[in-house]
Amino acid sequence: MNGPVLRMEAVTKSYRVGAGRVAALKAADLTVAAGELVALTGPSGSGKSTLLNLCGLIDTPDSGRRSVAGQQVEGLDEKRLTWLRRENVGFVFQSYNLVPVMTAFENVEYPLLLLGMAAAERRRRVIDWLGRVGIAEFADRLPDALSGGQRQRVAIARALVKTPAVVVADEPTANLDSATAKDVVDLLHALARDQASAVVVATHDPRMADRCDRVLRLEDGEIRP
Amino acid sequence: MKWIFFAWKNVLRNRRRSLTAMLITAVGVAAVLIGGGFALYTYESLQEMTARDTGHVVLAHARYHEGDEDVPLQHGLAGAAELRAGLSRLPGVKAVLPRVAFSGLISNGDKSAVFVGSGVDPEPEFRLRGPQMSFLEGEAPAADAPVPEVVLGADLARLMKAKPGTSLTLLATTTEGNLNAVDVLVKGIASVGVPEVDKRLVIGDIATVQRLLLSDKVSTLSVYLRDTEGTDAVAAGLKAAHPDKAVRTWADLAVFYQAVRALYNRIFGILGAIMVVIVVFAMANTLGMAVMERTREIGTLRAIGTLPSELVRNFVLEGAMIGAIGAGAGMLAAAGATVALAFSDVQMPPPPGRSAGYPLLVNFSPALYVVVLAVVVLVAALAAWTVSRKATRKPIPEALSHV
Repeated sequence: MNGPVLRMEAVTKSYRVGAGRVAALKAADLTVAAGELVALTGPSGSGKSTLLNLCGLIDTPDSGRRSVAGQQVEGLDEKRLTWLRRENVGFVFQSYNLVPVMTAFENVEYPLLLLGMAAAERRRRVIDWLGRVGIAEFADRLPDALSGGQRQRVAIARALVKTPAVVVADEPTANLDSATAKDVVDLLHALARDQASAVVVATHDPRMADRCDRVLRLEDGEIRP
Repeated sequence: MKWIFFAWKNVLRNRRRSLTAMLITAVGVAAVLIGGGFALYTYESLQEMTARDTGHVVLAHARYHEGDEDVPLQHGLAGAAELRAGLSRLPGVKAVLPRVAFSGLISNGDKSAVFVGSGVDPEPEFRLRGPQMSFLEGEAPAADAPVPEVVLGADLARLMKAKPGTSLTLLATTTEGNLNAVDVLVKGIASVGVPEVDKRLVIGDIATVQRLLLSDKVSTLSVYLRDTEGTDAVAAGLKAAHPDKAVRTWADLAVFYQAVRALYNRIFGILGAIMVVIVVFAMANTLGMAVMERTREIGTLRAIGTLPSELVRNFVLEGAMIGAIGAGAGMLAAAGATVALAFSDVQMPPPPGRSAGYPLLVNFSPALYVVVLAVVVLVAALAAWTVSRKATRKPIPEALSHV
């Protein structure tokens, strides 16, 4: 494992509920090294999703500091924050969240298109990644024509194809049967480690948690090792 | 190119909805193009009719158009022959026609009626008037007939019980204020399609009319051009060359043309505005629903690193595509209707104050098609921009949790 690529210091987040505010995350500290897989577990409402959103730079904390790939996050405007995500953060969602009108190939190609990569290089990388996740023969299929496991493989390829510093995965095995879930866990584990991406996974699935380097339990907005 | 491809895929995502928006746009575009083409045809016809009637440029005495003559030809043009010869040599001039406006009484011996007449050079006059005057009986008068010949309006001929060959008498006040009379032979009976004019119209040879009025002046010299576009240039040249005379263009004298044009511009302007509103609503509805349905997808694409402006651009491309395809279909329908009308001989009823209808034709104007296409695409893109702008700025976690 290498040095930390994701660092969060004393990060807090609260939400307005009625007239008051509820603390979703209380002074959370988190450091994840390159190639490290960290599982976030805990009951519903414990703050997993909030922490995951903050790791993925799609939400803003009330206080605290974050850095991704050495870049301080707080103080960045919307455009620079989006660019930071574009270059350094990959997402794997529980419901895959593939674009239904795009083929598997196009879904994986999309992040590279955003990066302005040349067509030939894009094609080479997408074919490579579809092969790595084992669905090269389904490249021209739309998501509707793929099984749940195949869709999640496409989602993993989409998240990793740009070699991001950080991968954020929200319950990636929740919608999969146990055999497929095991495959997906192994795949995510192997590929992320292979290209030294820091992976943060929110999960209820013990099989997923067991395969991670560290398991952090969240309770009432606090991280408990 | 890839973005256009993705936009096209999204257009096809909900085909029925996209098709509905395209059809609404097509109907609006076709309505505007057919209505606009009809207005252009009407303008062109009225322009031609007016220009044939008055000439493209009219040269007259400086006070002629004030209409306050005490005796006929008080404000007439002297030396008309030399002026006519000089004007005829100007580049772009097809003909120069002298005219004498006069009025008086016409009698068949049993009864008399008021007439409003015109003395003309018969051969070029009737040739240039073309379809503006249709002969119901007889033909145009000859300039050198042994007995002066006239053409009567259809209703005046009926009143005078006249036919070609009938002898009548014209009485008019001379330039000296006395009454004078001349016997004439009816050579033709014609209609200009306006009952009020047909009831009083007398057209005779200019020499006969000048003899009746005891003057060698003419009221106006009408300059006919080969190309209507040259009107303003020729008028400007004549104003510079004849600063002591009144120079008017056909547009200055075409009160009816101006009124119709103003009316049609307003009617078809409103039709165009309605089309814009229809396109806006169709696009806003189609893309508004698409944006709402794709809220989670928007959240996903934002999370992956797509800028809000890039997502808006994709929706704008979708809107522009739907607008362009709808407009294209509307243009095809309008072009088809234009061709069909050209071959179908559908007649419009006579307008108020007229006795004859006119063909329902629609002009094909490439410029109008291009402008309408551009407006529709622009409006569709603007509608897409408006509906997608807010949705693409929604907080990403909120968009991702959208059900």
